[in-house]
Amino acid sequence: MTTKKSAPKTTKRRSARTSISIATSQRKVPKERVAAFAEAPLAVCETDANLQAVLKVVRNKEEPVEVRLAAIDTLATAAFSVVAFESCRHDYIATLREVAKDPNAEIRESALGLLAGEKDGFAQEKLLEGLKDPEKALVPPEKALQLLSYDVHAESYEAARNVVENPPSEVARQEALRLLAADANSGPLFEKLLRDKDEYRAVRQLSASALQAINPDKLQKHAREMLLDSSEYEDIQATSLTALNQFGDDEAVAKDKLLLKSIRRMRGKAASAKYKRNAKQFLSKYES
Amino acid sequence: MLNSSLASTKVNAATPLLGQANATLSEREFAAMVDALAADPNRREQLTDLLREDHHFYNQRGAATVVRMRGWVLLAVARIGLADDALVFVLEELDTGVDAYLVAAAAYALRSYQNPNPSIAPFVMRAIAQIRYHDNPVSFEAYGDYAVSGGSTSPVLELLVTLAWLGPHARDVRAEIEVIAQSRGLSKKAQIEANRTLEIIRGTDTAEEHHGGSCCELPGGLLSKFYWSRRSRRASEPLDSIIFEDQDGESVSFKEFFHGHPSIVVFFYTRCENPLKCSLTVTKLSRIQTMLESRGLSDQIHTAAITYDPAFDLAERIRGYGKNRSVSMDAHHRMLRAPDGIDALRQHFKLGVNFIESLVNRHRLEAYVLDGSGRIAASFQRLHWDEQEVVERAVEVLTERDVDTASVDLTSPELPVSPAEVVGVSLRGHPSVHDQTAPANLRTPIDRSPHNSLHQAKPVHSKWQRSAASVMGTLASLAVAFFPKCPICWAAYLSVLGIAGLNQIPYSPWLQPVLGLVMLINIVSVWLRGRGTGRMGGAYLVTAGALAIVLSRIGSGWEKVAIVGVILTVAGSLLSAFGSRKNSSASRSYRESANRVVSNREDLLT
Repeated sequence: MTTKKSAPKTTKRRSARTSISIATSQRKVPKERVAAFAEAPLAVCETDANLQAVLKVVRNKEEPVEVRLAAIDTLATAAFSVVAFESCRHDYIATLREVAKDPNAEIRESALGLLAGEKDGFAQEKLLEGLKDPEKALVPPEKALQLLSYDVHAESYEAARNVVENPPSEVARQEALRLLAADANSGPLFEKLLRDKDEYRAVRQLSASALQAINPDKLQKHAREMLLDSSEYEDIQATSLTALNQFGDDEAVAKDKLLLKSIRRMRGKAASAKYKRNAKQFLSKYES
Repeated sequence: MLNSSLASTKVNAATPLLGQANATLSEREFAAMVDALAADPNRREQLTDLLREDHHFYNQRGAATVVRMRGWVLLAVARIGLADDALVFVLEELDTGVDAYLVAAAAYALRSYQNPNPSIAPFVMRAIAQIRYHDNPVSFEAYGDYAVSGGSTSPVLELLVTLAWLGPHARDVRAEIEVIAQSRGLSKKAQIEANRTLEIIRGTDTAEEHHGGSCCELPGGLLSKFYWSRRSRRASEPLDSIIFEDQDGESVSFKEFFHGHPSIVVFFYTRCENPLKCSLTVTKLSRIQTMLESRGLSDQIHTAAITYDPAFDLAERIRGYGKNRSVSMDAHHRMLRAPDGIDALRQHFKLGVNFIESLVNRHRLEAYVLDGSGRIAASFQRLHWDEQEVVERAVEVLTERDVDTASVDLTSPELPVSPAEVVGVSLRGHPSVHDQTAPANLRTPIDRSPHNSLHQAKPVHSKWQRSAASVMGTLASLAVAFFPKCPICWAAYLSVLGIAGLNQIPYSPWLQPVLGLVMLINIVSVWLRGRGTGRMGGAYLVTAGALAIVLSRIGSGWEKVAIVGVILTVAGSLLSAFGSRKNSSASRSYRESANRVVSNREDLLT
């Protein structure tokens, strides 16, 4: 048995005010400044001077990127205390909008991510612009779709459908499908994807989840049909078992002799451990 | 100052754009159209019309786009001056808005209103309380501009400037402004503005009083409460066949659920992110249900919350949404979705809502009271409505329904008659829930609403009923007119039968029992009256008079005693009559007074 020794303190704990002065000082090395920023959130909004000093670091393109990112993180942490941050919010949001078009991609992504979390109209507009016109894109399409999905009221469904139809990458396509999982009109699309055996398994699983949210009755219908289909993949059937077991109409399932018989038969032949486990749970629930 | 570059568009350019399909109109074109409308004083109404949520220009736009468009309209309204008919849109934004740009634009527009008054100040304070922790920078420089610099404004700044503009009219909220100014949460600029606002308001403490007259009232109709008289209500036929699915997945048609009893209906959707709208509306519906329950009316007045977004709001979702807000759900109270009927509902209720695909992009607050035929009897829109008021309105509709049924009862005696049908009818013959004879659960404090036109129902009678009632009424009136109603009358009849007929009695033996009966009635009448008034003198005299008359008929030589008897009878009757007149007068005075009270209540209703 080994005893864990407490790590020796290499640096003395600084006051928040001192942390701010170190973090914003260009004479300090970036590593020390990043560490100081991590200790500074409580002091950021204490005085207007502190706030302006931190915002200046964020805006300054000459500053090291890691320091600027640390400054943004510190501000985001401070903003989490909504009431204490009240007086700083105005300049904070304005600065994030300003650096959302920064030459550095990481800064842009960080700023747009925070603004999207605030459901900021400016960020949504820029993200949609980028999806429509890649030359104006501030972040990759998959990131834009992910950030737009923070707000169901952003007019992003049409843009997401365009990405699904003409995907710039498979990652972007799957991100677009995740976004559409909250779109009630996308039910038929997910039904089609769910039943397409040539589709990626991840996409089919995602489609099952989306249908459960959008049209659970359709998922129940397809799940039953897929369980009766002996040519269907076992992992997809395992998902179908879960769907019926957790969300199905218990009375109807219990009376479905054909389904129960099919599952009993498949259970004996299945190679997938997941299928076997789910089938066991399923049969123990409905066979009595 | 607002950028005028877009405003340079020619006025006439707006004309074709207004008729243009929204899908082909870009945001820039919309902004140019708004500027053109603002430049034309004759088209102010069209500009105000653009503030309606259901305007076709907002159809299939994202929520952020709608914010930009509406914000630009508010700024245009500010340029030409906020009129009374547009004031409600501005106050609505202050009352329930959570978007920084729109709240700031509303505050800005409010300052162009010509009639600042103290009733506006609470709206501004409420907006500050709601937006202060989302005080994002905003820019009014150009259409769609987002603030990225320190030189921009913010909703809190604009609201504080608006309070300063209100000046003396903001006196009532001075204490609240002081609390905000001392909270140290404001930005530097906002702090300066708060202090300036306070100085202005304090400076008016000694200044002249603000405008008199109707200074404290918002313009008529602003409250966005609309009531329809029974004759002016639109029939619900277009909706009757709509099939709803309730929170348990049960199907029910509009006709099945909304006919036969009044209903209170609110609209909502579960993905609404404004806590001051759908979530609060459904919570208030729960409070309405509690009020109905406490008055024993939950079986007589139904409630329903209908989702704007039936494609996403499945039965399970609306059940959870209602349950989390303490909504009671049973056969009379349901959360509803109309998978194939939302368009018909939008059209019939003229819902203040618009969509991007199936998702709501903006909506107003709206609650309705439907009558027993599913017709809209009252609506409460835009500004926060009071649950008590909605319940009272529904109770009035319920009472009007009951009187209708009572009218039918006259020709259909087989129909059941509830207590509410035989009472609660005022002196004017109209139903009144203010009548103190109404059942307690239907009674209400005096209604101060100026819009009430609900009590115009009159019972419907058949022709033969009216004729029979007329003849019977005439006969009854004659009978009552000739019936001896007081001791004087009885004395007069006795005089006729006694004095004038005394000589005839020996020759008309049948008159003797008649005379005896009349005397007996008179004695009983006077005795009863004497006991009621506590004055028995008249009764003694009448009794003595009757005995004297009887004695006069016993033997010869006693005829003159009959004259004494008649005198005593008349004297006793007069004494009895005058003795009770004071009480009769007091009773009549009381009745008249009571009648006046009820009459006054009726005046308030009509």
